[in-house]
This record gives sequence, C-alpha cells and structure tokens, in this order.
Amino acid sequence: MTNQQDIMHACPACGLLCDDISGDAIARQQFSCGKAAKFYARVSAGAAPAVGGSTASLAEAVKAAAALLKQASAPLVAGSSTDVHGARALVSLSHATGAAMTHINASSTLRNMKVLQHRGWQTTTLTEVRNRADVILMIGTDVVSHNTRFFERVVWVDEAMFTEPAARKIIYLGGDKLNTKPGVAPDGRAPEVIACASESLPEVVATLRALVMGKPVTAETVAGVAVSSLKSLADTLKTAKYATLVWVSKDLHYAHAELTIENITETVVALNQKSRAMGLSMGGSDGDTSVNYAHTWLNGVIIDAPEWESHDAVVWVNSYSPNAMPPAGTAPVIVLGAPDSTFDTTPAVFIPVATPGLDCHGQQFRVDGSVTLPLTAAKPSDLPTLSQVVALIEAQLKGDLA
Amino acid sequence: MITLLKNAKVIDPAHHKDGVVQDIYIRDGRIIAKPADSEKIGQVHDLNGKIVMAGAIDMHSHIGGGKVNIARMLLPEYQAMRKLDEPEAHICGANCSHHATPNTTDTGMRYIEMGYTAAFEPAILAVNARQAHMEMGDTPMIDKGGYAMLGNDDYLLRLLSQNADQKTINDYVAWTLHATQTIGIKVVNPGGISAFKFNERRQDLDQQHSYYHITPRRILQALSRAVNEIGIAKPLHVHCNNLGVAGNFQTTLDTMGASDGLPMHLTHIQFHSYGTEGDKKFSSAAANIAEAINSNKHITADVGQILFGQTVTASGDNMMQHLNAKVANPKKSVIMDIECDAGCGVVPFKYRDENYVNALQWAIGLEVFLSVDDPWRVFLTTDHPNGAPFTSYPHLIRLLMDKTFRNDAFDKLNLDAQAMSNLKSLDREYSLYEIATMTRSAPAKLIGLQDRGHLGVGAAADITVYTDQADKEAMFAKPDLVFKDGELVVKDGKVVKVVWGATHTAKPSFDLGVEKDIKQYFDRYHTMQMNNFKISNDQIAEDGRNHVINHTQGS
Repeated sequence: MTNQQDIMHACPACGLLCDDISGDAIARQQFSCGKAAKFYARVSAGAAPAVGGSTASLAEAVKAAAALLKQASAPLVAGSSTDVHGARALVSLSHATGAAMTHINASSTLRNMKVLQHRGWQTTTLTEVRNRADVILMIGTDVVSHNTRFFERVVWVDEAMFTEPAARKIIYLGGDKLNTKPGVAPDGRAPEVIACASESLPEVVATLRALVMGKPVTAETVAGVAVSSLKSLADTLKTAKYATLVWVSKDLHYAHAELTIENITETVVALNQKSRAMGLSMGGSDGDTSVNYAHTWLNGVIIDAPEWESHDAVVWVNSYSPNAMPPAGTAPVIVLGAPDSTFDTTPAVFIPVATPGLDCHGQQFRVDGSVTLPLTAAKPSDLPTLSQVVALIEAQLKGDLA
Repeated sequence: MITLLKNAKVIDPAHHKDGVVQDIYIRDGRIIAKPADSEKIGQVHDLNGKIVMAGAIDMHSHIGGGKVNIARMLLPEYQAMRKLDEPEAHICGANCSHHATPNTTDTGMRYIEMGYTAAFEPAILAVNARQAHMEMGDTPMIDKGGYAMLGNDDYLLRLLSQNADQKTINDYVAWTLHATQTIGIKVVNPGGISAFKFNERRQDLDQQHSYYHITPRRILQALSRAVNEIGIAKPLHVHCNNLGVAGNFQTTLDTMGASDGLPMHLTHIQFHSYGTEGDKKFSSAAANIAEAINSNKHITADVGQILFGQTVTASGDNMMQHLNAKVANPKKSVIMDIECDAGCGVVPFKYRDENYVNALQWAIGLEVFLSVDDPWRVFLTTDHPNGAPFTSYPHLIRLLMDKTFRNDAFDKLNLDAQAMSNLKSLDREYSLYEIATMTRSAPAKLIGLQDRGHLGVGAAADITVYTDQADKEAMFAKPDLVFKDGELVVKDGKVVKVVWGATHTAKPSFDLGVEKDIKQYFDRYHTMQMNNFKISNDQIAEDGRNHVINHTQGS
C-alpha cells in the first residue's frame, strides 16, 4: 500500500486536472499554479450545518431542507459545482423533487453545446496535442488564465512522439488582456500575436474561415486586422502537420459567440479536407464537463440554462467555488456545498459537504472530455459527501410523503 | 427461498433441449437440481408450457462511453419526436427521449423488457474506459461488460514497429484487460485510426502504415495471437479496414486469413460485405462472405443489420466516419482524435427503404443471416445504434423467422436494389432453437460466460418466459416473465423490480514487469499518470450498485 505522501493527486481546480500533485507539494504548499495553491489551502475544519444562520445538527438541517423542497412548486438544482458522483446525486434529487437542473457554467457550456448540436465538430485531446501539434492557434484566449499549466504540461514538454516540441509555432488571434508570455518558446522565440478585441472576433474568424476555404476576400482589413496577415495565417494552418485551434468558451462572452465558435470548428472541418487539424476547447471549472456529461447519460439531454425567476427554491452546490452564490433575490436557498463557503446573504439551510479531491475521493472529467481521473482525498475529513446528504434528504422526503 | 418454474417448455441449445417440458428450480440466484421433497418452495409460477429460454445476451451493443454520450448530446431532435399524448408502452426514465441512444436508465429498462439480461459494449477506448464503466454502472437491470480497443494505440504500434517479441505484446494485452476492466479485445480499422492522424484517408490490409511501416495484417496477427495465448475466451473482435466502402468484401475475405487460423470474430459484417457490381457500382457480396464464414471454422461474425429509420452511428473508426460525414442526416457529425489511443466518429444516419444503397444494405444483412449455416457462429446484432437501435431486435427476429413477412418487406424496397439481391430465393426460416442459439448459448460461449446463456444446474437464473405466438415480433417484444439472478424483474413486458446487474471481466495472469515500460511511456508522452489509467474493482463499485464478476478462462 502506498502511503499518503506517495499518492499523486489530480487537482480539480480547473479543467486541466493535473494529476501530478504530490502529497509533499500539498504539505509544503508548493505549486506552479495559483489555482492549485488556493484549492489545496482550503480548510474544512469547523464547518457545521445551519438553519437560518443558526448552527443545527445534520438531521435538523436535512429536515429543514426537505421541508423547503416539499413546499416548493418549482425547485431548481443549481451551481452543481461537484464531481461525477455529486452529479449523479443531484440528478437523483432533481427527479425526486421535480427540480430543473443547471450548472454555474451553464452559459459558457451551452455556447459550445449549441455548436455541437447545430453542426458537430472535429476535436482532439491533450495527449494528441502534446505529441502531434506543430501549430497551435489560440483564438480570443491565452488559455493560461483558465488552465495555468497548459504550456508546461502540453506544449513546451521535453519530448513528443511526432513533433519537436520546442519548434512549435504559437499564434494568438484576438482577445483582451492576454498573457502571451507562456507562449514564448524555451529558446526565447516569441509567439505571433494578431491582435484584435474580442468583440471583433466574429468578423475576423469568419474571414479566416473564408480564406481557408479559398473564398475570395476583397477587403484589405477586417476590424483593423490586415487580411494579408490572416491569409498568411490560413497558409500556416494549411501547411501544418497537425494544426490545433484552441478556444475557451468563457472568453467568448459577447452575444451569439456560438457563431464564432462555429466558424472556428468549421475552419477545422475545411482544413481536414486536405490536411490535418483539430479543435480543442479548453477552460472548464467546477466540474462543468462532468456534470454536463453525467446529466446527459442519466437524462438523455444536456444541462440547461437557469431561468432564475421561475423557481421558488434553489439547491445550491458550490464545492469548487466557495464564494459563489445564486443571483440575489432567489430564495429560499439550500446550500449543500463548500465547508468554507462565504455568504453575503444567509441561506435558509447550509449543509457543508466534502469537496471531492480535498475531503473525499471522487471522479472528474478533464476539459477535453475523453479522460476521466479519480480524485483522491488530499486532506481527508469527516464531512458527509454530497451523495450522502442528498440520500438523507430524499429519505426525509419519502418519509414525509408516506 | 426456492422459486419453481413449473411446466416450462425449455429451449436450451447448450444442453440440446428443444421444447422439453420440465420444471426449473431457483435458489440464491442460481438454477438448482430438483430439491428434496422436504424443502419448502417459496414461489411457484405454473408456466403451462410457455417457452423458456435463458436471458438473451447482446454481444455487441454500444451502450456506454464517450461516443455514445456524444451521440446523445448531438441529437436534441429526438426530444421533438416524443409522442407525449400517447400512453407509454414501458416505464420511462424522467426524460425518456426514445432516442436511438437512450439514457442509461432507459437502456437497461428496454433491454430487460425484451428478455435481454446482458449487453457488451464492444468499443471501449482504453483511455475512456472509466467513463464507459460509469455509464454502464448507471445502466440498471442488466449485466454489462466490454471489449478494450487496441491496434491504433501508439504504444502497441511502437512495439510492433520495434519488432517486440510476442510475450511483450501478450503482457501488454493482458495488462490492458486488467487496467480497463474488460473481457475482450477489439481492433477497429487496424492501423487506420492512427494513419488518419498522419493525414492518410484509407488503410488497406496489406498497406504499410505511413509512419510505423507495419501492416494491419501484422496488427491482426499479433493481437489474435496475444488473445489466444493469454487464454481468454473471447476471440479478437475485428472491425475490418474499409468499413462501408463498395468492394470492401475482398478486404473482409483477406482479413479472415490474417490470424493464421486462430479464432477471430468479424463484427458488423454487413458493413463489410459490399461488392462493386451493377450500374451503381455497389452490390451485395453476402454470398461470398457467407460461403467464407461457412468454410473458415475459426471465424465467427455478427451481422450489424440495418433497419429503416433515423439512427446515429457511433464508431471508433474516425478515418471512415470522416468520409461518411458527407452523407450525415441530419447534416452534422463529431470526429475526434483521442489521446494517442484511438478516435471516434459520430454521424447521424437516416436509412430509407427507397434509397438504393440503404435498401441493399438491408438485404445484404439478411442474406448473410440466412446464408451462414451455423447459428453458433453468426450473431444477432444491429451494431446498436449504428444499423438500428437495439429495440428493433424483435422486428429483426421476425424477419429471420417469417419468410412471408420478410418477402413482403422486400417488395417495398427500391426496385433497383431488389434486382440486385437474391434474398427472395432464400427460403430459410430460423427456428426458435436457432434464435436461442444465436442470442443465448453462442454469445455466452463466445465471451466465456460459463454460467450464463443456458439453463443447466448451476447457471445464473437469468431466465425469460415467452408465450409462443405466430407473430414473432410480438412474442419477442414482450416476454411474460423475466428473472434476473433469480429475481422476478419483468411481468407482462413491464419492469416490476429494479436491479443493477454486474460487470463481467477476464483478467488473465501476466508478467507485471511489462508495467515498467508502460509507465515510462506514460511519463514521457502522456498527460496523465499510468496509475490513473487503471480502474480498480472498488472504483467500479463506488456508488454501491455495480460489482465486478471476474471469469477465469482458459488454462
């Protein structure tokens, strides 16, 4: 049996799910990523259930939560910041209470899902990129604001099977306040930056797609970007052995950004007629991929976006975002979440639950969708899991109804 | 407690029983010999001569994993197809979609309602196995299991290109079975999924891979030998090169020779039985294929019958699905390269009887069924959901058992397709005994489930009771009773008790020394730790419902 210090933990602080976090690094709080440092610095001790802001027993809090849910005519399960096991429990709770279910990242998730459901896409995963990508184009994003160690773990690696990692061509196209420093090659070679504001990306990406498809483009500039530089970018993509076009849906936060994503993915489709290219959707947090996937296999449909005003009770789960709360005005709120939650408004019921990957084991999907990793309890605690608390609430509901 | 099924008309090909009326006794989930008169019988079902078979086993059905879930996501159109004003014929999950790839609850419910008690996911990407098991773990009522995909993973291709010895390959294959909690090994378009990543668009059986300089034939040799030598029951599950291409029957025939006489299973062979004759350069080669199966005793096949209607195809074969995406209906598709391990392609299809190619595909599948002599070597599948959803099995069974019904359907096909098929000259009608063979005894034997697929003493009490009817579709759509591990779970076609089933695996012994090189490969090239690639029994059972049943097979 390996001892606690030898286990490599997978870090659920973002969608990259780096699984090289040693017990030693956690003990000494030494990380190359601020998100990981913040996650592993969290403390669960001292949290207790509360009803109306007053400390209560778990049984009392469960009873209060069940009573509120029983009363509600249109409850909502929201936040849903958890892992696969938590997602299963929340789907079960939504069935038991007739609740709708959504996720804290629903709007950015749905931006991608609209594209998937309208046209489909052609995408790749991190190990393919690590071993094959010779050109990496980031559109409207620096990736590292979401996935700090993207370049460390996927791009500037020591070895790759089919390409020379240090020779990769890194290109940034558009976006706001990008941190392009991680895109500098180990030998100091600077990345190419084609600057434009996020809001100009619809035009710029549409032009890139047209150029890749060989359509005539007569304009000399599009949204301030020289068409000649886009033409040269299109040629770079076409001659790449394995071009990777990266986006982060959270960074494309203007109206109808799904159309920009579709232009990215359809550029990939066009490239794949003759050469090889793939899309890569990065970002991810709060178990968004896990919850959407589990929701899909359990219900047959993807996660939905919330309509806050049409619900009269909210079950809020914030395991990876202890500071997050539903929009003001939604009530009553039952928080089944982070023991270190901070509240501006006292929720009706608060039941601290174990955070998967910190207090308890779990399973989480990586942002690229094909890989699922086990989460291990980095700092085991006695807190009940979300599944256990939901089972108690469901039992209480059944008892009440009987 | 002992349960007695009295006056059962038993059809149990594993014991050569064809309509023998007898009593069946069940205790603790198993079939037992007639107990002493002093023992108390807790529950008696007098079947009055109703037909009794073992629970059916679907040996090839895409029920869980990445591409199946993408298929669910891809087609919200199915939600609009729900007929909310009609009473449900079955218990639906909260969001029952009647989707070709239903949610996990509905998958389990629909299977058990038809008397199926197990289904095997045939294309588990090793790196995606954890997801596949999560979905199968959430699939109630039936037993599950899967075949891990190898043959496009860079680890194996590197071994082969470096002329690694067979023992190293055997150890890697056995290690994969353990790590992925699977019971068989599958190869999809050997070498082709990898070649697509190097911008190749076709991979022929004897064509060298452009990077590794090995042939698909070499991959098939190595893997079929490994599977044989490590001693698992399930022969190598082969999705041949050139899926769906006119003229591909020659590749299929050549593939039969690639294992040097070792057992091999060719899957969804309908999609690999196409000739190039006629004006449209697309014809049936079912006769050639069936003849070759009949004479090559080391070959088994499942058909992958297509049936008309909307479905979605989900395959590991991203090379060929990338070509098929051009005929997607609705016009959308997902193509993925995955983790230097494999790939996937999800493409919706609408098979139409007025379409020449579709109509001929339908006929080709049936021609194969009716022309292969031995029901122990041909299996009833639609390659769910690729040819049609598994819920169409009762219809397919009637097509096989009822010549008039089949010929009436044939008469409605595209006329040019009718002219190119000999289906009407095939008079064969499958018997109940043959149906029981191809859906029970044969799959259990093929996969190595010694205690399933038959009704002998000691067998798991997975039992289906039917009323014999002239309309075989009605008969197989709605059994009277279904028992899962001895518990009555379906009555009159409706679920009366929810159970969760188990996951079947095979874990042959191997030299753990192989892990040293595998770990080094992970450390050098992967984006995850090797240890996280491996799935433990505890993780399969994590939410308290599923558990692993390991089968000791071979020597």
